[in-house]
Amino acid sequence: MSTILKIFIFPATLIIICLGVNTILGGHITPGGGFQGGAIIAGAFIFGVVIYGLKDPPIKFSHDFIARMESIGALAYVFLGLAGLIFSGFYLYNLGVDLYGIIPGFIQNIFDYPDPIHAGIIPYLNFVVGLKVLVGLSAVVIAFLGFKNEMDEDEENIEEIE
Amino acid sequence: MLYAGPLILGFILGFILGSRIKFNTDSGLNFTIGSYIVIFIAALVAAYLIGPFPYYTDSPFASGFVATIVGIFVGKIILGRDIKEKKENDKEENISK
Repeated sequence: MSTILKIFIFPATLIIICLGVNTILGGHITPGGGFQGGAIIAGAFIFGVVIYGLKDPPIKFSHDFIARMESIGALAYVFLGLAGLIFSGFYLYNLGVDLYGIIPGFIQNIFDYPDPIHAGIIPYLNFVVGLKVLVGLSAVVIAFLGFKNEMDEDEENIEEIE
Repeated sequence: MLYAGPLILGFILGFILGSRIKFNTDSGLNFTIGSYIVIFIAALVAAYLIGPFPYYTDSPFASGFVATIVGIFVGKIILGRDIKEKKENDKEENISK
C-alpha cells in the first residue's frame, strides 16, 4: 500500500476505535450497543490489517489474546445473569434497577451504573458483548487473510514445480 | 460533575486495545511522540464535536471518547512495546549456535 495510506490509517484507526467504544457506552439509551460498537472497533482493526498486512498491523491480536477476551466476555455475561438468578430468582434480572423491588439496597448499589440514567447492568452487558464481538469479528478476518496467504503460497509452489 | 461509568468502562476498553499496539520496528513505520500528541488533539476535537454523549450534561466533551483515547495511550505506554523482529531472530540464532 502507498505511504500516504500507511501514515493516515493508524491515527484514523485510533479515532474509529474511540467512536466504537463511545457507541458501546451509549448503548443503553441511544441506537448502538455492544454488537454495533464491537463491529466498529473490529472495522478499525480490519482497516489496519488491510493496509499494513497481516504481518505488520499496528494493532496485533494474538491467538491467546482473542481466546482470553472471548472467554472473559462470555463468562462475564453468564456471571451477570447468574447474579440476577442468585439474588432475585430471575436469570439476567436487572439488579441495578430492581423494578420489582425484591433485592436489598446494597446489592442494587453494587450493580448500578454510575450515570444519570442508572441503567443497571445493561451497560455492563453492552461492554462484555462489545468485547466479544470485537475479537470475534477480528478473528474471522485474521483467519480469512491467513487462508488467503496460504493459498497464494500454495499457488506459487505449484507454479515453481511446473 | 463527570460521571464515573463511561470514564471507567471507556478507559478499560481503551487500555485493553492500547496494550495491543505493537509496531514492528523493521516495517519502516515510525510514529513519534509528536504524532501521538496530534492524534490526541484530533481526538479531543472529535469528542468536542460529538458533544456530551449520550444525552449527558456533565461536560462539553464526549467523556467516554476522551477516556478511551487516554486509555489507549496509557495501555500503549505500559504494555504496548514495539517488536524488534531481526534482533529477536539474531538472539535465537545465537542461542542455537
